[in-house]
Amino acid sequence: MWDIIAVDISGRHRIKGGYYMVCAAAALTVSASYIEKVKQIKILPLWLKRAPSLLDIVQLIEDTADQLSFEGTIVAEKGDMYNKPSWMTESMFSRAFKYQESIAERRSIELVHHISLSARNLLINELQIEA
Amino acid sequence: MKILAEQKSSNENRVILVKRTIPNSDLEREEYLFQELRELVKAAGYLPVGELKQTRYPDSKYQLGRGKIEELAELVRDTGADKVIFYNRLSTTQLFNISEVCKCQVIDKFQLILEIFAKRATTHRSKLQVELAKLRYEVPRARAVVSLLKKEERPGFMGLGDYEDSYEQDLKKRIVRIESELGSAEKDDESLRDLRHRRGFSLISLAGYTNAGKSTLFNAIVDESVETKDMLFTTLIPMTRALDLGGRKALLTDTVGFIEDLPHWLVDAFKSTLDEIFLSDLILLVVDVSEKPEMILQKLSTAHDTLWDRIQGVPIVTVFNKADLVDESELDGILEKIGYMAPNPVFISAKEGTGMAALKVEILKHLPPWCFCSLSLPNSEKGMSVLSWLYEEGVVHRVEFKERILVDYEARAEIINRAHALLEPQQQT
Repeated sequence: MWDIIAVDISGRHRIKGGYYMVCAAAALTVSASYIEKVKQIKILPLWLKRAPSLLDIVQLIEDTADQLSFEGTIVAEKGDMYNKPSWMTESMFSRAFKYQESIAERRSIELVHHISLSARNLLINELQIEA
Repeated sequence: MKILAEQKSSNENRVILVKRTIPNSDLEREEYLFQELRELVKAAGYLPVGELKQTRYPDSKYQLGRGKIEELAELVRDTGADKVIFYNRLSTTQLFNISEVCKCQVIDKFQLILEIFAKRATTHRSKLQVELAKLRYEVPRARAVVSLLKKEERPGFMGLGDYEDSYEQDLKKRIVRIESELGSAEKDDESLRDLRHRRGFSLISLAGYTNAGKSTLFNAIVDESVETKDMLFTTLIPMTRALDLGGRKALLTDTVGFIEDLPHWLVDAFKSTLDEIFLSDLILLVVDVSEKPEMILQKLSTAHDTLWDRIQGVPIVTVFNKADLVDESELDGILEKIGYMAPNPVFISAKEGTGMAALKVEILKHLPPWCFCSLSLPNSEKGMSVLSWLYEEGVVHRVEFKERILVDYEARAEIINRAHALLEPQQQT
């Protein structure tokens, strides 16, 4: 069993007035092929006037993961980090970071993807943001 | 004369291998990738006579630097090579430019894989698949190559006037024809899979990196003699055999191996082959455990990458093959390092036949569950025929012939439902 923090960001496309992104992070315990335990989930929205850079993304992921009260390796999709090689992204985070590899990690990313997507949809509806 | 002919035939296969690596990349890994290219070249039946490497970012015109390309041209002249094989993917312009400088045929890794596939393809269907993959690769290049070659002949300013591009049209027509033919073959496969499922078979497939020993395991477990070699892509056409798991019948399919950065168009072309893996009830992911842990991780990651999108929910058993080559005391250490990537690990040696019992137990554990029930059949001719059908479809644990036939029975839920449906009208009469 391994402790991971799966993260995913939704809304990295331009809407009226800038970029409205929602990052979701989930502290999980996983085995090789299954999510064994979901310990905590946090989301964090971010408004940006300009297109997000790699550093913005790293900061957003760090901030979201900091809200969790559990430790673990941050796991993200390669596409979320602009397909940068892992040696580069690993060195940009203050804690352990890796791209998704095992079946369970892929499942976890899927889970947080659904969370961030639906959270963003909900926020856009509630705050009446013009998409 | 004979010697001359032999020389000529070996001369025809002379190749030079080229690889460009990006700065700051892992040297050991790059060497491994180069070794993989050497293995591919061996599998295609070429004789490598020279190697060239350069570390730099890609050049849009030549892939390597201009100076290195001239060096390559010199090497081609000196060795009399007939072909240059690049590890990196080449654009049409690069292919054209390099072959202009080197005055010989230039191909990249993907074309090399296609050549191997073309060589190994023996059935009508696999020949079609290979042709489809080749055509798909060719299409975007066809237009560019024709335009590069005929630039001066074209009407209009700078050759931008209209020019018939019938070559590309021909390719597209051929693609559509092959696709429809393969489509109908796929439907046949689907109905075959359905039939097998209905007959009570569970479908198991062997997947894994190329040269992991899938065919050897296949032979060992079903007692068959499929061709096995220490070579990449020995198996191209899926081979299916029945496997007896202590009364439960399953069909085991041996499939083509994966390779790193296999492009999507190639995966798509072999879709009907890979479907065997994607649509099975259980996947045995075979891994060569005698390699370095980092290498195993990389290969597992490639396998998960290829599988993940399509196998939603199908359980995977990781089979660590070639365990005889590793000291037993080291196995735990290896498992600790790569455990997070390897669901349900089993250590075996297909060559020596060890660990097969444990593997079968693991397989049974992950197959779709069978139900247990007690049936009572009428002691008549019809009852006997139902009983013989039950024997075919599942495992009969106990039979008692009394006024009625009492059976303790285990099978898939569908079979048991059918048995109940068959028995109900009889019980009413």
